[in-house]
Amino acid sequence: MTFKNLYIDHERSSEAEEWVKEELAEQEERFAKIEAAMEDLAPTREKWYQEFFDRLRTNGFNMDGDDKMPIPESDLPVKPADRKDQVVWKYGVDSDDTPRNGKEG
Amino acid sequence: MARPHIEPFCDRDEHFKPMRLLGFGTGMHYKMLSMDTDTGACSMTAQFDGGYKRSPGFSWSEYEFIVIEGELKVGDRTCRKGHYFYVPAGYALPEISSDQGCLVLYMYNTGEPSHEEATEHHPSAQTQLYHDVDSYMDIPWAAGNVAKPSVASGCMIKLLNYNPNSFAMTFLYCMTPNFYQDNISYHDCAEESYHLWGTSWMMQFGDVPTGGYFWRPAYINHGAFASEYGCIALGRVDSKLFNHFHYNPWTTPVENAERSEARLLARDPLLYHWAFSKDHNHPHSPKDFEMFMPRRGNEDGHDTEHKSDGHRHDHWHGHHHHDDHSPHSHDHHHDH
Repeated sequence: MTFKNLYIDHERSSEAEEWVKEELAEQEERFAKIEAAMEDLAPTREKWYQEFFDRLRTNGFNMDGDDKMPIPESDLPVKPADRKDQVVWKYGVDSDDTPRNGKEG
Repeated sequence: MARPHIEPFCDRDEHFKPMRLLGFGTGMHYKMLSMDTDTGACSMTAQFDGGYKRSPGFSWSEYEFIVIEGELKVGDRTCRKGHYFYVPAGYALPEISSDQGCLVLYMYNTGEPSHEEATEHHPSAQTQLYHDVDSYMDIPWAAGNVAKPSVASGCMIKLLNYNPNSFAMTFLYCMTPNFYQDNISYHDCAEESYHLWGTSWMMQFGDVPTGGYFWRPAYINHGAFASEYGCIALGRVDSKLFNHFHYNPWTTPVENAERSEARLLARDPLLYHWAFSKDHNHPHSPKDFEMFMPRRGNEDGHDTEHKSDGHRHDHWHGHHHHDDHSPHSHDHHHDH
């Protein structure tokens, strides 16, 4: 990270070790809450997607800065039938639950 | 495995916890925002009580911080909201204190928070990298087009820190009232943001209010974007920022990464074929010859300054200097 990648090697104290462990456990809880909240938001998000597609057709898609291009209805994407609307990916491409090559994890 | 995707999160929904790590003293409270599961590197909002004092010292990790509210004294200097610091690992800051209390955003980049009492820098500290600035008063807003394709006008930045090797950046960004940008973006880098003030909206995650935060691993969709009344935030990316815009909200991180790869092939086909050729498949990472090539260095006090005067010659192999005309021998063959 920023990030100059500077670190001076040292032995982490047992106190710091314990602190990190506790924080990571709490982070797991935090992540689970976020994931659940974002699943709950899915119906609202579905409306937001449709409004987004409407704006793409009428106002246009921001290609670069303020340069916009209207997207014809025929070019709008179709949601894959076997895919749920997922917006939180625990470790991005390294997530265990990340579908690869179109296959659900 | 690095930091997980924490988005959206708002620290205003959490309680402060007393900091109990040694060296930080009493009167420091924090809310954890995200933490690297391997290194303990983390970002957190910290509140210093009125009268708080921390002894001079350094951290084993590099860190950055910005004053969100109140006043923080660093040595004899009084730093107000918007004051940003980049502190290399091992760099000893003077005593910090707050008479009336303050709120600070801390980002420890390479390890867990640590504070070793010291009035001198650690010998390994790269002290020349230290810098601080009053980002609110002393840096003008610039257009947000640091990457092409760029964000829409109305999103502006102030660059605070830049890594010339990785192109990682720390910056303030703002959105003007009624800002909007109708595309979905993802990046080849992780991105972090903390809302210092105001609310923005993203189509996947909804509103991000004051105190709102995200740590987003690479290749995750975000946007469209909007801000009704404007916002100001601190943002960071951990390597080069490139905006991959599109309009399919159902793509996965793997599909996005594969698209990045396809775009790399289209943009830099020779590099792509070299990098992905089986014959050049490096198990760890590609080798940058500049990191490993033999260099003249400073051998036993050898002055590398140009010395040619017709009698002497430039040399970078190991041997001793001699006065003009004095006999000397070399311990290996070389061409003049």
